[in-house]
Amino acid sequence: MATTATNIPQQGVFLEKDIDTNDMVVNIGPQHPSTHGVLRLITTLDGEIVKNIEPVIGYLHRSKEKMAESRSLYQYQPTIDRVEYLSSFFDHYAFVSTVEAIAELEVPKRVQYIRMITMELNRITSHLLWFGTFLLDLGASSPMFYAFREREKILKLFEDLTGARMMYNYYRFGGVIADMPEGWLDKVRKVVDEFPDRLDEYEAIVTKNPIFLDRTIGIGIMSAEMALANGVTGPSLRASGIKLDLRKTNPYCSYDEVDFDVPVGNTGDCYDRYRVRFQEMRESLKIIRQAIDKIPGGDTAELNKRRAAGDETANEMDLQIYGKKINLITYKPPKGEGSTIVESPRGFLGCYIITDGSPKAYRIKWRGASFSNLSVLAPLMKGLLFPDLMAIFGSIDVILPEVDR
Amino acid sequence: MSVLDNKVVSGVVEVGRGLATVAKHLFRPPVTLEYPEVMPDLSDRFHGRLSLLTKSGGEDLCIGCQACARVCPCGDLIQIEMHRDEQKVPVIDRFTIDLGRCIFCGNCTEVCPVDCIKMQDDFELAEYSREALVLDKYALSLSGEESDEYRVRHGLEKHVE
Repeated sequence: MATTATNIPQQGVFLEKDIDTNDMVVNIGPQHPSTHGVLRLITTLDGEIVKNIEPVIGYLHRSKEKMAESRSLYQYQPTIDRVEYLSSFFDHYAFVSTVEAIAELEVPKRVQYIRMITMELNRITSHLLWFGTFLLDLGASSPMFYAFREREKILKLFEDLTGARMMYNYYRFGGVIADMPEGWLDKVRKVVDEFPDRLDEYEAIVTKNPIFLDRTIGIGIMSAEMALANGVTGPSLRASGIKLDLRKTNPYCSYDEVDFDVPVGNTGDCYDRYRVRFQEMRESLKIIRQAIDKIPGGDTAELNKRRAAGDETANEMDLQIYGKKINLITYKPPKGEGSTIVESPRGFLGCYIITDGSPKAYRIKWRGASFSNLSVLAPLMKGLLFPDLMAIFGSIDVILPEVDR
Repeated sequence: MSVLDNKVVSGVVEVGRGLATVAKHLFRPPVTLEYPEVMPDLSDRFHGRLSLLTKSGGEDLCIGCQACARVCPCGDLIQIEMHRDEQKVPVIDRFTIDLGRCIFCGNCTEVCPVDCIKMQDDFELAEYSREALVLDKYALSLSGEESDEYRVRHGLEKHVE
């Protein structure tokens, strides 16, 4: 049952007249294990009830937008991984596809499928980390070890593909840096096939646990109006019952060629946000399975065999990993501007680039989902109990590097 | 009262189910690695310590084109000084990489026209001082045999002189 300000009996009668019953200001953070980074929350409390909450951001500001003005686009690209380090493939996709739109570079179909597989795997790792830390915030420590066990397997796949576990730097303008290693798709299929069992295991531990239910059902109800008014996107918005997913509404990459559902919640409480993310992981698995079956050329080993045998069809455009090979050292995109919005694990991730014909961008603007999602915390927390703060803050999945950039 | 009973019963059942799931791990092999004793199995593409490959005879492969220095996102991390001898052959006087500031993005390895600067699968790079992390040409260069072995393992062209 939800405990809100109205349910609490008046306690004024017990207080002596000279006791100071004014509001108390409590500082949470910047260094706090539950703020997922460095966030300061100035909380005004009336007893246990949160009257006002004011997030102070900027502790993680690394001037990612300004940095772009002193670096060529290719030089700037590795630093994009650090915009949002839990799902860097999405940042790279937004950046690279914007440049591709400005320069009108063609992207082969095989590359689009590789990008789609990596992005969906990345969505799963991001949601898994959210799952672990969210329950850690609620006081349950073992789910984190479960989540990290599976995340490790996917990070190992990324390491085989890109050489790095979190800072991938893998996409290139009009392609990817290198084709998949031989046998990589089989490894992905193996991980994807055993994943539903693991998800069932998590659900057995968490989903119906009475303590978890008490702390999430009916807590932090975000109405659809409140979500829209604050610019909330992603799973947090869908948990409030609005079916808005850019992969469905504005298909980019090759999302229009795969079949998947967009899970939505009913009430918009913490439990719904948890459920929506869990179902999203299952949908991602569905997308990856279809993409592995549909990828043009199949596994690299197969493709290499065809090429070695002199099969001309193995060299056609759709099977390449570069649309047009460009000299990355001196690459100058034409003058122009463009933008891309992708559906990242946290919501809309936008990249807007103005180029002036030089190797550098004139201006790059990032629109991070976490920034808008964080702004809903204050209206959401008003009048709720202080112990619910971390449950609610954890459930909207804010990551601070993306807030400050 | 019956609502409370239901809640208690379902709570006990669900907590029991969760504990049973956790208890399954008693019979599963551990997934963690005992790191210093067991080294992780790294991929060929691993972004580790930077190194300079040499020709099979051990001579410098680098031609001093500055491509790696130009694409480095960290500014002046890679510093190259070179001159050309009488036959116009490039001679590298100085080649330093400050690994303390390197972000291991791999841009330099991608653009190198002679496949000279490459990443090894070596990740234990801790040193006692920052100066010790600035590697010069001799610390970075691999021997001719090591370079040949690297080239065979990664399917690169051989540079035999």
